[in-house]
Amino acid sequence: MTAALGRNLVLLALLASTVGAVVGSAAAARGSAVGWAWTRRLAYLFAAAMVAANGLMVWALLARDFSVSYVAQVGSLSVPNWVAVVSLWSSLEGSILFWGLVIGGYVGVATWANRDRHPEYMPWAVAVWLACGAFFAFLLAGPAQPFQTVSPVPADGPGPNPLLQNHLLMAIHPPFLYLGFVGMTIPFGLASAALLTGRLGHDFLRPLRTWLMLPWTFLTVAIVLGGWWAYEVLGWGGYWAWDPVENASFLPWLTATAALHSALLSERKGVLKGWTVTLVLATFLLTILGTFMTRSGVFNSVHSFTQSAIGPTIFVFLVLALAWSIALLALRIDRLAAEGTVEPALGRDSLFLVNNLLFVLFTFTVLLGTVFPLLVEALRGVQMSVGRPYFDRMAVPLGIALLLLMGVGPALPWGRATPQQVRQALVPPLMGAALVTAVAAALGVRRPWTLLALAFGGYTLQVTLRELWLPLARRRARGESLGRALVESGFLRGRRRFGSYVVHAGAAVVIVAIAVSSTMGTSREAQLKVGEKTQVGAYTLTFLAVDEVSEPHREAVVARVGVSRGGRELGVLSPRMNQYERQREPIGTPAVRSSLFEDLYLSVMNIDSASGSLGLLAMVNPMVGWIWAATALMALGSLVSLVPSRADTRP
Amino acid sequence: MKLNARVLVAGLAVVAPLVVVLVMNLGRDPHVIGSPLVGRVAPGFTLRPLDGGEPVTLASLRGRPVVLNFWATWCVPCFQEHPLLVSAARSLGDRVRFIGVIYEDSEEQVRGFLARQGAAYPSLVDPGSRTAIAFGVFGVPETYFIDAEGKIAAKHIGPLDEPSLEAKLRQAGLSP
Repeated sequence: MTAALGRNLVLLALLASTVGAVVGSAAAARGSAVGWAWTRRLAYLFAAAMVAANGLMVWALLARDFSVSYVAQVGSLSVPNWVAVVSLWSSLEGSILFWGLVIGGYVGVATWANRDRHPEYMPWAVAVWLACGAFFAFLLAGPAQPFQTVSPVPADGPGPNPLLQNHLLMAIHPPFLYLGFVGMTIPFGLASAALLTGRLGHDFLRPLRTWLMLPWTFLTVAIVLGGWWAYEVLGWGGYWAWDPVENASFLPWLTATAALHSALLSERKGVLKGWTVTLVLATFLLTILGTFMTRSGVFNSVHSFTQSAIGPTIFVFLVLALAWSIALLALRIDRLAAEGTVEPALGRDSLFLVNNLLFVLFTFTVLLGTVFPLLVEALRGVQMSVGRPYFDRMAVPLGIALLLLMGVGPALPWGRATPQQVRQALVPPLMGAALVTAVAAALGVRRPWTLLALAFGGYTLQVTLRELWLPLARRRARGESLGRALVESGFLRGRRRFGSYVVHAGAAVVIVAIAVSSTMGTSREAQLKVGEKTQVGAYTLTFLAVDEVSEPHREAVVARVGVSRGGRELGVLSPRMNQYERQREPIGTPAVRSSLFEDLYLSVMNIDSASGSLGLLAMVNPMVGWIWAATALMALGSLVSLVPSRADTRP
Repeated sequence: MKLNARVLVAGLAVVAPLVVVLVMNLGRDPHVIGSPLVGRVAPGFTLRPLDGGEPVTLASLRGRPVVLNFWATWCVPCFQEHPLLVSAARSLGDRVRFIGVIYEDSEEQVRGFLARQGAAYPSLVDPGSRTAIAFGVFGVPETYFIDAEGKIAAKHIGPLDEPSLEAKLRQAGLSP
């Protein structure tokens, strides 16, 4: 019964999106207002059907209705309710259903937000969105089918993948990732509309950039949450491994970041419109490529779901989207003529070009490293990893160059700068660079790359803080009170600019924290008996006891480790091994004690409660917490600049 | 409608190889391959074991089959095949020598990995990847099966599974 209702909701979504895509294209081609109104209604219907189908699945998961195939596959009587809800995206079919929810939500909201605006572009955009939506509805109706009827109805199910129920972060990371990935459909539709109409006016660059920045924000948070999850759950003490699927989420982030910058230059100077549109299309294509990577089994990864007909189907969609994008660009890019020029001199404009160059280079580097093993595999039947050494060697210089650029670019004035202006802009932040480097050197940092990252970080932070301060200072000079100047410059008038610099500040801290945490950590491995001690960094660790804990959905063996530093007791940390029902291999959960500058990270390598012995991996990871905090700052800055300003809300 | 040929060509140049690679990987069998080194005498080496002790030379291993496994901790397929190699080394005992050669990795990382995942045979440090280059290692994991006379009898690319391990050990002269 539930399964049949779900199937019908999926069919309704497929019908609404297919008809909507056709009606929308026709309305756009003919300029029909009636057609446009019907396109909107069909978009809302599509959104409603997807929301309802997902609501139904969540209800079935909570009710443990094992007559629905997906519930029989991932549900279990023994899991808590939050795990039951999270199961929606824990396995292949459910995650595609969830994709449908997100695309439905985006299409519904974006259509509604632009219902009275940009009438020459919007029918095209909505038609493209619905065409993408139709594809996912088709996946759900055909190859994926989460709503099959199971008969006879099983009494219980196996529960979701234990790695996914091991930590609450797993409940948060995938939704953010989907909001980032799927959200790129919206700028893709807008960019396609610009190409189809052959225009990309100043008025339309604004929504393009806004609708790109929204999923970009989610994607940024998602990538870092993924790293955080790996850090808190996987127990090897790191947060990024250049896993193909991590790369899959990083690639569209790189092109989207490039597009945000080139769109700003397009908006300001009327240049690079074709390039901006290309980057937006590429971002969407990379999200589909990433989806294909995760869902096809072509890549070997912790993230990969099982092989199925879904992979080839996504591949067909990828090829269609690639063909569509290339054809559209080849036919229409010449219409998006530049209205201005970029000064061929040192200044902020030209550094925007360097920024784009670096981001595109970064994209190709990561893409090559991800796909090259596949090429070798195809040609020589070889399965291999290019691995961390390649990525680290390439990414470190690129990341550090981008960090410097983030300082030098905003420091310089727009257009052509005189040599004197250049000096005035670029010399003072050297103070910040010197200060940070000196402090770091005093604290014992010796590695040249780390020091370079810290120096550039100091430089960039000084420039960024000055840019944040400047409008405030101008208002103060005009006699405004501090509070009023702060609110006006930060949140009312210059919101977009203010938010962007907050994002820059966060990004600079993230890069510096990555540089420090990946080079300045210490680690120690020890085999301990109860009562024995070991030392890592300044911490003394005492193995106090082994406990066995029984929870409804898992058994755990927990090591109690007393922590002290300089004779002061800091408490007890409890890294553990979890044993899930119906799962052979135990899964460790590390214990992390965070302080302002460093994390003490304890992970169980092996543990035996009978003999009371513990293999302990202990690490001191400096500044890891700064990555999470600075990402929150980036997201905050991004949200500030996303809230529509007065100019936008005026009709 | 005018077509911008440059954009078309550039777009296809980026996209076509990618699509071809992905198509070739749909429904592939990753374990069928040959190697020019098979049948030749294995390149000699003298390498230091990770946990100290006398350097190991290939010549000193003559007299029984050798399984030479190039691997690294950052390589996911290596992680997958590790338990099989360890259990095979344990169960075969003296009949086969298992040797790991560390490829592009830090000693500290490898020590941690082996402490966590278990070790049953020596892992050798290969400074500057010279031995890996001599064997023509393209990526990890790659495993060479050397017979009692020091000739490369078989090569396996990618993670080993039990049937291929057995078959290739037999090629290297291990009697069942």
